[in-house]
Amino acid sequence: MLEAQNLSKTYSGTPALHPLSLKIEPGEVYCLLGANGAGKTTTINLFLNFIEPTSGTALVNGLDVVQQPLESKRRLAYIPEQVMLYRNLTGLENLEYFTALGSTETFSKGQLLAFLDEAGLPAGAAEKRVSTYSKGMRQKVGIAIASAKGAKALLLDEPTSGLDPKASNEFSALLKRLSDGGAAILMATHDLFRAKETGTRVGIMKHGRMMAELRTEEFGHADLERVYLEHMHD
Amino acid sequence: MLATIVRKEFTEMMRDGRFRSSAAITMALLLGAFALGWQHYSEVNAQHEAARKSTRQDWLHQGDKNPHSAAHYGVYAFKPKMPLSLVDHGVDPYVGVASWLEAHKQNEFRFKPAQDATAIQRLGEMTGATVLQLLIPMLIVLLTFPAFSSEREQGTLRQLLSLGVRPAQLAWGKALGIALALSVLLVPATLLGSAALALSADQGAMAASWPRAAIMALGYLAYFAFFVAISLAVSAVAPSSRFALVALLGVWIFNGLVVPKAVSDIARLLHPTPSAMEFARQIEHDIENGINGHDTTDQRAEELKQRLLKQYNVDSVEKLPVNFNGIRMQEGEEHGNDVFDKHYTALWQTFERQRQVHELAALAAPVLAVRSLSMSMAGTDFAQHAHFAKAAEEYRRVLNRKMNLEIAHHQKPDDSGFTRGEDFWATMPDFQYTAPDLAWILSRQRLSLALLAGWMVASLVAMAAAAGKMRV
Repeated sequence: MLEAQNLSKTYSGTPALHPLSLKIEPGEVYCLLGANGAGKTTTINLFLNFIEPTSGTALVNGLDVVQQPLESKRRLAYIPEQVMLYRNLTGLENLEYFTALGSTETFSKGQLLAFLDEAGLPAGAAEKRVSTYSKGMRQKVGIAIASAKGAKALLLDEPTSGLDPKASNEFSALLKRLSDGGAAILMATHDLFRAKETGTRVGIMKHGRMMAELRTEEFGHADLERVYLEHMHD
Repeated sequence: MLATIVRKEFTEMMRDGRFRSSAAITMALLLGAFALGWQHYSEVNAQHEAARKSTRQDWLHQGDKNPHSAAHYGVYAFKPKMPLSLVDHGVDPYVGVASWLEAHKQNEFRFKPAQDATAIQRLGEMTGATVLQLLIPMLIVLLTFPAFSSEREQGTLRQLLSLGVRPAQLAWGKALGIALALSVLLVPATLLGSAALALSADQGAMAASWPRAAIMALGYLAYFAFFVAISLAVSAVAPSSRFALVALLGVWIFNGLVVPKAVSDIARLLHPTPSAMEFARQIEHDIENGINGHDTTDQRAEELKQRLLKQYNVDSVEKLPVNFNGIRMQEGEEHGNDVFDKHYTALWQTFERQRQVHELAALAAPVLAVRSLSMSMAGTDFAQHAHFAKAAEEYRRVLNRKMNLEIAHHQKPDDSGFTRGEDFWATMPDFQYTAPDLAWILSRQRLSLALLAGWMVASLVAMAAAAGKMRV
């Protein structure tokens, strides 16, 4: 479960995020929509405790991320727009490393390979060094890291940007599986179609402010686009 | 978890071409320095052994002559070279390794390689100590500066910290990973060096050397730990890798070049030593004029004569039951000894004060602490030089006294052909030197040991603190 209570961030007088209250229950996929600079990444950074909130609290499974920075992070997984890996290690070694540091469970090599396979990494790539990987392949290792962690809360920062439609589709299927497994997911994205497909709720942000929240089941794709554009219109 | 971090850092480093090439270069330099040191040690040791034997043979077989001539003939005393001196030549190149023990004079040490060296050699002598004190820290800096900063720049740090890893634990893991990578370089070099030593040095010298080698190794490890920790600390808080590199090179230059040079100058300014010429002139002056300055050689001889005439109740030196010349020479010798004691004590006190300045300056640069420890364990520091010099001087005085008394008691005043031969020369025992033991040496290294440990602990604390402050 992810929860923001009057969470805000101001950089030297300029608000990056106006007080935001948000609650994402297990099984929910909440999509943050909005132009660059709308406050999506700031929100995610606040949940990660990478930046300190100006006011309010961010909770992961009920743990205040400022008070319990390590414990709260152990309960979440994070996939950035560009999953960055150690170039001189293989995909498998990267997964092994991140999993060993992030998870209490230990996995066999077979299990780790299964995570990579499940994430859609081409067979045989797992044992190659990451310096030979494409962006999509790195993204898939990131997904494998997140699913191996078995986190109950996921923070995704434009995870599908730059992925081809097939990879993007596979990613959605995986998200579905994770949310069916009881994960609360917060995803920042530009992809309205993907938001409508995988999201249960959509929040439209602009200049650090939450403009509108919609349940995706109550809207068609065209409606979502219309509402979004209305809000983007100055 | 720590083991995982260590293993990953180690694996990454082993696969990094930069590590492989720089480690290979450092390894080659270290082994080269050890090999040169080893060759030098075995050569010099053999030469010393041969020279020691030959100086004794020369003494015994100098032929029949007056004992005073024998005292002038003199003997050489050779400072034994410890096996570990192959790692660290210390002050040996500057203070010399052999002394000529002759009548009337406490000689300066001879055979100082620094005298024969060209100016350029002084800068670049490649010894084990240079590699250990300067090049390996440089290698550590080059390997460690991007440890955190490049992870931040590449974005892996965000992902790493999103896992809920304690940053200090990451720092410890990286430190140990680098240590493991360095041990790939240092362990074989140390083993090779030890094997070469064990093969060439004699067993007695080796037995005494193992504990010293262990302390020396621990000292260098603490010194390396300082560089690893400080590099990680800077890398954690530096705004960029480039900044971290520049800052750490600054630390390296300050520690290795600026402080040692500045401290030598400061020590000389605070506690100036006379020039060799001035020193010799003062001694000559005091011997001529007496320590108090108005007691000339002639006056002293006249006083001695009057005293002896009175003591034996005779009216001329010819009637004395002892040889006046022998007594006079021994008196002159003892007067000279007083003069030498006065001047050499003062000189050595000045050197000791300079050394204390160097020792204290380790507060500004840990290299001075490790250098002091390293030299002392190698047996090439100034304290052990002075210890040997005193023993040699002691022997010189005994020898001269023996020669003079032989004249005083056995030479008839009119017997100008008085001589002694091999039988008598053999009654003067050979010069035997017992080098100070480890406890003696360690008691003089307390401050350096404490400062080295202090630097290591402080840098590790700084590393953990900097990692805790680290932002993504």
